[in-house]
Amino acid sequence: MHSLFRRENRLSLIVIAPFAAFVGLFLVYPTLVVLYKALTPGGSLGTDALQRALSGTYRDGFINSIALSATSAVIGGTIGILLALTIKSLQRPKWLHSTLDSWSAVASQLGGVPLAFAFIATIGAQGILTKLLMNIGVDLREMGVSPTGFWGLVVVYLYFQIPLMFLVMMPAVVGLKDTWREAAAIMGASPARYWRTVGIPILTPAALGGMLLLFVNSFTAYATAYVLNPGGALVPLQIRFLLQGNVITGEEDLGNAIVAWVIALLLTSLLIMTLLQRRTLKWTSS
Amino acid sequence: MSTEAVAVLAPGQADSVPATPVRRSGRARVTSAIKWAFLILVALYFVVPMLAMARFAFQNVPTALLTPDKLFTGWSPSGLWTALTDPQILAAGRTSLGLVVFAIVLNLVLLVPLSIVTEVRSPQFRPYLTAFTLLPWVIPPIALVVGVAATFRATAPWFLASVFSLVPFYALWAMPFTYRALDAGLQAINARTLYEAARSMGASLGTIIFRVLLPNMRASMVAAAGLTAAMVLGEFAFASLLLKATLPTEMVNYQRGDPRGGLALALFVMVLTALSLGLVVRTLRRRGLNVQTTGL
Repeated sequence: MHSLFRRENRLSLIVIAPFAAFVGLFLVYPTLVVLYKALTPGGSLGTDALQRALSGTYRDGFINSIALSATSAVIGGTIGILLALTIKSLQRPKWLHSTLDSWSAVASQLGGVPLAFAFIATIGAQGILTKLLMNIGVDLREMGVSPTGFWGLVVVYLYFQIPLMFLVMMPAVVGLKDTWREAAAIMGASPARYWRTVGIPILTPAALGGMLLLFVNSFTAYATAYVLNPGGALVPLQIRFLLQGNVITGEEDLGNAIVAWVIALLLTSLLIMTLLQRRTLKWTSS
Repeated sequence: MSTEAVAVLAPGQADSVPATPVRRSGRARVTSAIKWAFLILVALYFVVPMLAMARFAFQNVPTALLTPDKLFTGWSPSGLWTALTDPQILAAGRTSLGLVVFAIVLNLVLLVPLSIVTEVRSPQFRPYLTAFTLLPWVIPPIALVVGVAATFRATAPWFLASVFSLVPFYALWAMPFTYRALDAGLQAINARTLYEAARSMGASLGTIIFRVLLPNMRASMVAAAGLTAAMVLGEFAFASLLLKATLPTEMVNYQRGDPRGGLALALFVMVLTALSLGLVVRTLRRRGLNVQTTGL
């Protein structure tokens, strides 16, 4: 730190100071205030608000959000990995890899309002797929798939989860060197044996890290859930309720406490993800 | 290359090679068929909602009355036209464009000098800046909005009164990929070597920045700008909870009164976003810059 104040580093200081001030004012300060208020409900130190944030309807909100995020992360993650492996193994159409790469970069950012609308037009009550399947005797309603229900949300979230997983997994999958497979084959290992002892152990950290990222990604998704079912018992929608409802005394602390739990959950997930990523790089970077 | 290696290591099996491809091609054909079936299924999942949305937006035939013979009747872009000429949508569109421009400018003003100085003068700070890029994932809009309500709403209500109070926060969430893009650009041109070379020839710091480094960072800046634009045009949670009229929030209001036009508008914005992101990917690839658009 001492070197920061030496003459040749004064320039760095001039450039870093506005950046640090900016981040401090607009990100760190509001966050610290929320955490402080969550820990001091009604003005004195206590865990009262933090406990209430995990009870009753808010407890349901956390359970639903975690279930939704975990389900979409596991399904989206699995499909994303399979997609990456398929693309790597198919050498033939040369445009395939680059097209899917670009498409994923686009689709992983296409959450939000338009996506919700697209699925209302597809699997909503008047959706085209709902009607098409009805004609051949399959009732999506009866199967519990409507864009407002749990599985409907999973189907919608997969639209940005699969491409995100593909983007995160592709470097690890490409890093799986062909020479390893050849070496295993020369030593007499079957493809199954190769995957069990080489492929899967090397890809596992990347896969788990990617799924954690998907978990975080869908936990904090707001627009899609709001447009499809604003009254749903999901954490982001409950935050909205607390923020916009006529705030009764004490409710404010409740909102802060929920956010404190959310930040704790995201921070833990992302720290584990970073550790897993570091492990992945050990093998697949070259 | 690989078959050569096998042949060298196991010369005794060389004579069995002609038989193997014949047997394997049958199995390979099956696996290849499975792979393509999987790819087609995934492609359908991604294409069908877009087509359904386009049909709903541009074909004025209710789904209940849609029969195969009516597939090509009633198509018209009038819904989109009505939506695009709606005064509130126009105003919101202008607002969002302003937000895009201001967020890009603010981000570049803060991060271009920072990334240059960090790279050429204090590379020891690079790991800290890179770690910082995870912050917006930890504190997403839905969490930060509560903090902003708890702080600025009480102490500086005048600040939140303007719709452009969103700019610093949008710049904040755009920082991870902006910094990554700029840093990748500097790495790709070997900025430190260029800096030292220019320095030793007597160039001033201003000359180095404006005539050597900045012209070489254009691709990075275009990529960062495109990603920021896509982010701002899609951000809903923060604007909606602070009751600001941006394009995404107005789109939801508009859709309640005119479902068809609302969907046409959403599709239009989605295509714009996709084009902007497509430009980003193309720019990055042409320059051979290794930047994750996820900002990680």
